[in-house]
Amino acid sequence: MSGTQILIVDDERIMRDSLAGWLIRDGHAVETAVSGEEALEIIKKKRFDILLVDIRMEGISGLEVLRQVTESDPDVAVIMITAYGSISTAIEAMKNGARDYLLKPFDPEELGVLIEKIVDEQARSRETLFLKEAYEERTRFESMIGQSRSMQSVFDFIRDIAPSEATILITGETGTGKGLAAKAIHSQSPRCDGPFVVVNCGAIPEHLMESELFGHQKGAFTDAKETKKGRLELAHGGTLFLDEIGEIGMRMQIDLLRVLEDRVFYRVGGTQPIEADFRVITATNRDLEEAIAKEAFREDLFYRLNVISFAMPPLRERKEDIPLLVEHFLHRFSRETNRPVDGISREALDEMMLYDWPGNVRELQNAVERAVVVGKKRKIQPEDLPFCLAPAGLPTGSALKDVEKAHIARVLNENQWNVARTARILEIDRSTLYTKIRKYNLEPPE
Amino acid sequence: MDKTASFEDAADLGGRSSAGADAILVSPIGPIDSVLSEAVCREVQRIFGARVRQEPLLSSVEFALDLERRQYHSTRILEHLAKRVPPSTLKIIGIVSVDLFIPILTHVYGEAQLGGIAAVVSTFRLLEPLGPVKAKADLASRLGKEAAHELGHTFKLRHCPNPTCIMHYCRSLRDVDMKSLKLCPYCRVLLEDEKKRLAKQKLRQPQ
Ligand SMILES: [Zn+2]
Ligand SMILES: [Zn+2]
Repeated sequence: MSGTQILIVDDERIMRDSLAGWLIRDGHAVETAVSGEEALEIIKKKRFDILLVDIRMEGISGLEVLRQVTESDPDVAVIMITAYGSISTAIEAMKNGARDYLLKPFDPEELGVLIEKIVDEQARSRETLFLKEAYEERTRFESMIGQSRSMQSVFDFIRDIAPSEATILITGETGTGKGLAAKAIHSQSPRCDGPFVVVNCGAIPEHLMESELFGHQKGAFTDAKETKKGRLELAHGGTLFLDEIGEIGMRMQIDLLRVLEDRVFYRVGGTQPIEADFRVITATNRDLEEAIAKEAFREDLFYRLNVISFAMPPLRERKEDIPLLVEHFLHRFSRETNRPVDGISREALDEMMLYDWPGNVRELQNAVERAVVVGKKRKIQPEDLPFCLAPAGLPTGSALKDVEKAHIARVLNENQWNVARTARILEIDRSTLYTKIRKYNLEPPE
Repeated sequence: MDKTASFEDAADLGGRSSAGADAILVSPIGPIDSVLSEAVCREVQRIFGARVRQEPLLSSVEFALDLERRQYHSTRILEHLAKRVPPSTLKIIGIVSVDLFIPILTHVYGEAQLGGIAAVVSTFRLLEPLGPVKAKADLASRLGKEAAHELGHTFKLRHCPNPTCIMHYCRSLRDVDMKSLKLCPYCRVLLEDEKKRLAKQKLRQPQ
């Protein structure tokens, strides 16, 4: 959402500040470090797209920062900052994986061109990953299940609001079934015969978002070889469900607001207005009011989206539904996989009731699916449950990176390879996750 | 633009300095041709829809001279301008004729405090390949664009990918000449947001 992440490492304050100021005005998210030591600390906690590193610093040198960074994350573009006296070091740095070097003071044109080129390349590699992801995206619609009081009131509420045309905002943690609720609203609404079009705002790279949503006219830009309908157009007569709405960038927020206000939109490069004939349902697990306070989300768009809102309860607040959910998933997966599992042991169910389910119903569903596949008995046992064996899941001699790889793969699979959501669960940012996916060569199943 | 009609009514280049809404100050520093500073006033008034007033505040920028580079450090000019703003000033833009730099770059056309009060723009680098005949009109047009660009930053606008938008970052004078004298629709919305926010803030804390 915040564009390219750049870290400046320079021990000279005036250089650091003037470069940071320029890059921030250019629209990037910038952090600074006063030394190589500090830079390496910052990098441990956060991923950057571009590093600008002064070659000559007290303590850990620029070359050493370069070495450590490229070792842990080869996709970071490291640009060395040099003075006249240290050009030979800069050339050595290029041999060691630096992307380029700039001579102090930089020509603004050179800096601008270099940054733009790197940003473009990184966007393109993200695009490749997204297209692959979208292709393999698994969609499985379910009915919502729950006898708990909190779920019953969700059902009642949905019944009440479904017939209207009002825009709805569904909040709730990841995996609580916000998408299912949206689908339920659609299927109980007068638009139920129309399409239900899902847009996962967290999964679409920002530069593809506009054409993905609005479509484009042939020739609108270099890659637009054919006219393409966007998802808004595909939702004609039905419901448009914008999942993870908190992830969209400022420009897209302006575009969406305009569509909701004018009820018409245009394809990219198109001149004919297209009627916006769809009901909008959005969902988020972010605190949008907090995002508004930070000027990251538009207040006027929020009021447009938040005409009616309700929250999906987390699973840990409706644990009485767990046996019912387990039974449901058990039947389904034993049928799908042809495995003779027909129940759950008392002990395994106890473990499930004790567990906190941070990934909510989706995590439960994945746990049951896995148990059906790996279980050796007719009834699911505690050792079949991933959260019961997490510490013993890998041999104790495992390298940290093997543990990291396995953990990331697991969380990705539990979340159907939804990168934004996975990143949030792992408490790292999306670009870090993308890098790790590439680093460990992770791929979606099937 | 309807929303700014009341601002426009109050706009005149010069007088009525203390009445009504806060004004954007256009402040020539040193010998600046009045044709140029008036062009800046006109563009700023048109693009930002605020009251604009011309008023010199500094007689020179010698304090910002870097003896080694023989250029002027624009960040220091911004600090001086910000310190001197008279009350009821919305934003201030200084116009200079000397070569500006920030320490990490060889030169800049201008600089601004992002979301702050002060901006500065120079004619120095905008002059270069202009022929003698059209020179003044073309320079005025370039200066108007760059002044509006820098002021845009003080309204929290960042660089815009649209090459015709005032907020597009121009690497060369060719880019400057290519861009229009307008904000793109996105930047216009973001500017209106910021103006509204500033107006609300002013209501909350009357001076
Ligand atoms: Zn700028
Ligand atoms: Zn723009």
